[in-house]
Amino acid sequence: MRRFLVASSVFVFLGCGGGDGGSGGGAAAVDPLGNASITGAISFVGTAPANPTIDMADEPDCEAKFTGTPVDPIVSVSDGKLANVFIRVVGGLPDGPYPMPSEPARINQDGCLYSPRVIGAMVGQPIEITNSDPLLHNIKAMPTENRPFNISQPRAGMTTTRRFNTPEVVIPLECNVHGWMNAYVAVVDHPYFAVTGADGSFTIGGLPAGTYQVEAWHETLGTQSGEVTVEADGSATLDLTFGG
Amino acid sequence: MWRILSWLKEPFGQAVALLVGSFLFFKYGIPLFPGSAPVPNSVVLQYTLIALVGILIFVSENEKRWVRFKQPIRATLVDDDKRRLRGVLLAVVPLAVGLVTFNFARPSVGATAGLRAVHPSPPSEIDFQGRTLRIQGLSNPLRERGSMEEHYATGMRIYYQNCLPCHGDLLDGQGHFADGLNPTPLAFDGAGTIDQLEESFLFWRIAKGGPGLPPEGTPWNSAMPIWEDFLTEDEIWAVIIFLYEQSGLEPRTWEVEGAEGAGGER
Amino acid sequence: MNRRVVSRRVVSGESGVGSGAHRNRQSAWRLVGGGVVLAYSLLTTPDSLLSQDAEAGKVIYDQWCAGCHGETGAGDGDAAAFMLPRPRDFRMAIYQIRTTASGELPTDSDMRRVIDNGMPGTTMPGWRDKLSGGERDDVIAYLKTFSRFFDGASPQAIDIGRQPGRPSDEDLAEARRLFADELQCVRCHGNQGRGDGTSAPTLTDDAGFPVRAADLAENWNFNGGGTVADIYMRMRTGLDGTPMPSNSDVIDAGIITDEQLWRVAQYVRSLSPDDPPARRDVVRAARFEGPLPSSPEDTLWENVEPYYIPMVGQITIKPRWFAPTVDGLWVRAAHNDETLTVKLTWNDASQSPDPEWDEFFQGVVQTMTDIDGPLPTQQGPDRIVVQFPVKAPEGTELPFFLGGDTRRPVYLWRWTSEPDRVEEGTATGLGTFLATGASEVTHTAVFSEGQWQLQFTRSLVPADSSIAATFVPGERLPIAFYAADGTDAEDATRGAISAWYAIYLDVPTPPRVFVAPIVAALFTVGLGLAIVWQAQRQQRKT
Repeated sequence: MRRFLVASSVFVFLGCGGGDGGSGGGAAAVDPLGNASITGAISFVGTAPANPTIDMADEPDCEAKFTGTPVDPIVSVSDGKLANVFIRVVGGLPDGPYPMPSEPARINQDGCLYSPRVIGAMVGQPIEITNSDPLLHNIKAMPTENRPFNISQPRAGMTTTRRFNTPEVVIPLECNVHGWMNAYVAVVDHPYFAVTGADGSFTIGGLPAGTYQVEAWHETLGTQSGEVTVEADGSATLDLTFGG
Repeated sequence: MWRILSWLKEPFGQAVALLVGSFLFFKYGIPLFPGSAPVPNSVVLQYTLIALVGILIFVSENEKRWVRFKQPIRATLVDDDKRRLRGVLLAVVPLAVGLVTFNFARPSVGATAGLRAVHPSPPSEIDFQGRTLRIQGLSNPLRERGSMEEHYATGMRIYYQNCLPCHGDLLDGQGHFADGLNPTPLAFDGAGTIDQLEESFLFWRIAKGGPGLPPEGTPWNSAMPIWEDFLTEDEIWAVIIFLYEQSGLEPRTWEVEGAEGAGGER
Repeated sequence: MNRRVVSRRVVSGESGVGSGAHRNRQSAWRLVGGGVVLAYSLLTTPDSLLSQDAEAGKVIYDQWCAGCHGETGAGDGDAAAFMLPRPRDFRMAIYQIRTTASGELPTDSDMRRVIDNGMPGTTMPGWRDKLSGGERDDVIAYLKTFSRFFDGASPQAIDIGRQPGRPSDEDLAEARRLFADELQCVRCHGNQGRGDGTSAPTLTDDAGFPVRAADLAENWNFNGGGTVADIYMRMRTGLDGTPMPSNSDVIDAGIITDEQLWRVAQYVRSLSPDDPPARRDVVRAARFEGPLPSSPEDTLWENVEPYYIPMVGQITIKPRWFAPTVDGLWVRAAHNDETLTVKLTWNDASQSPDPEWDEFFQGVVQTMTDIDGPLPTQQGPDRIVVQFPVKAPEGTELPFFLGGDTRRPVYLWRWTSEPDRVEEGTATGLGTFLATGASEVTHTAVFSEGQWQLQFTRSLVPADSSIAATFVPGERLPIAFYAADGTDAEDATRGAISAWYAIYLDVPTPPRVFVAPIVAALFTVGLGLAIVWQAQRQQRKT
């Protein structure tokens, strides 16, 4: 879980700071629009619904990666904080173009679960899908605004890159070999998005000064939204709460 | 090559060529005509025998030709230089006869020949859902009331939900279940199908299904359900409207024979 | 004279079948929309669409396609709930049978091919004989108007390698290894390719409807065709909308080569017979001099010819079943003048009831129509019924093929998988059963890797021939079958049926079969000699 948090923060940070190289799609590099950031934490109040356990008896190689019974982390709450929430700016942005994150978005299949379970990607940003399990996964994307795909990854270490060209929040991914495996890719036309880590925290950086409408999305709990104003090069806090 | 051509100048060669040619025509030529089916072997044999008789009458009609015709046969039977051919024929012909006999004598287990009336005559009246309905002279009441578009739409729904698996999207009797059934479902497309029938006949067949067939319709084999157990009277009339609209055929009517009795494709 | 209120032209004309103003308005809007799309297409893709006319296509679509695919192309026509797999929903432009990459639009010729040939193994027929080439192209133009994804698109078929020549045994063995261990097709399709892999029970399509992994031993049911080239293309580009992925990336990643994928296609093709099984009317029970095969896996069965009996949904008597699992039985029979043994073999991915398949079962229950009453609430057993007339028929008249009727009952062997037992009895209609008491029929059922093998054995002469059929060597006896798959929500009447067939117990070939031809040949020789002798005598005289 720690690893996941680091990964997503690094990715967001690089996304804001970079913007030169590796953006793919042949688009001209765009300089960052600013250096302000929105940080915050997503909380969950009330009793979280129990997550279902997963029977991995048919996949000993995956089961071995868990100490206890594997659980499908649909609602992942830790100390009242909610992970796997996708947060993005939905209003208040100046007109584009926006800088492309310098790194690809990445999603891994590890222990017959997607990791992370929720990722964001900018339109046209490469999405690297990796199989870390020594067995077959298929990755089936089921968008409505973009074209779908369904590809096979029969070996550990295999990485496939795909892009989505139209904004769409969110695109479900599933593995049909393992019916329990679900993930979500949120595709937006700017880089001002983040996914909460295990501690519910997030950071959206690289913003110019302004007042922004922000929306948080969770796969089963719906959406929450808020508004926040940041100064140039400053940082503002926005905390949102699900449940209750 | 020259030899064959010179043979064809002889009456015997001509007769053989004619016979072979007519056989090939009956067997392979006739099915090529549009709308024809392959000719059964027994019929081919019959036609070929008729051709043979015709040819024999022709060659024997003229004395000179008859002599010339017989000449090669006679030569084969008596000439010393034909001794080898004679031997071969005496071996091959009996062998062929033996083989044919074996084929006849061999125990073969085919399907039981079942004679089945596809369109048996309807009863004059039926018991429909508890009341008596006179089939003779009955016309489709939906044609006199309501909107034909609605009847067609109702009929389409009924057809697609109930009839399609056997009678097919194309109304060709080739639905996805057709191959497993015997007799195979009837087609409703093309001349010679429902254009030969009154709508009341269809009503009877639909309402009473396979079990309601008279014995000559081999009711024990038909998978056609008793639709009065599933559908209302109006639904049955609506699906009949759908069948005629969809196939583009006209029903036969009870009016004076010939007036508009003979349906056909529009 | 003309009693018809509206002509067909009006019914299927531009205003559509609908009558209300609302519907007409809808159609009008669709026409406008179609026109805009068409105009746009004409401007952007000058070559491919000129001959196509979406407007003409709509008239044909509404008459011939909407019954299943729905007026709006949503795959929700009147018949949709009576079908599994469901008709295609055209709105997302996701097509299974393509020569384009995963997720891409199909080419015009991809669409044309499916319309021409239909989709084997589904309810989609081929339209070649019904619609002209121009009409089929018009329908394609109209189908495209259901999705904005076609606007201005010109999908391209992927580049593929050439099919290598006939595979050697080593090629096939290597392809088998790729199939099982590298591409891991077995995870859904099962070790023998019968659609019984560990992942098979939870497969769903894009709309969430349950979907089966294809039984690879029945290439005549492959949705996109059963040739090696068809199989290769499905593996290469995937079946969009279903769980079947594309393997193009596996080739790009260098895990297998294009030629190896062709070999896997050849291997998959080799799992099915060269030709689809032909239906034959008479099952011949081979005559054994000694003991009969004692179990379904007895090697003695290898000498007994199998007969294929096509099975179709029971849709004659309530409650009906429109989507049966079992589409055919292989029947082998043998006797030794005392005992008859009959072996049935059929593919069924599950040994019902099986909790692993609960999700699939629930999916079927939620997907299929309950027009004839509620569907089962839990998985039943797998079932087989073998049916004979109680007495050999005199003349052609038989009992009703669906379980007889009160006038002419039938005699049955009724097997269930859970509990695994056979009962002997009589029936007076499908689903009815009156046990005869002590059952003389013994059986053995073996389920292995997505296949049932079920053997029945009974003496030729029953204890009570007034209720049980007597098997007489050299005579034909009608026989019919019923099969149900509990996992597929099937039961005693929801299942698959066969027509009447016949079983014939072989007898030793009578001597006359060999004597008659010899006599005939000798007679012909004698006749020939006589003719020659006569002719030569005449010649000498002259």
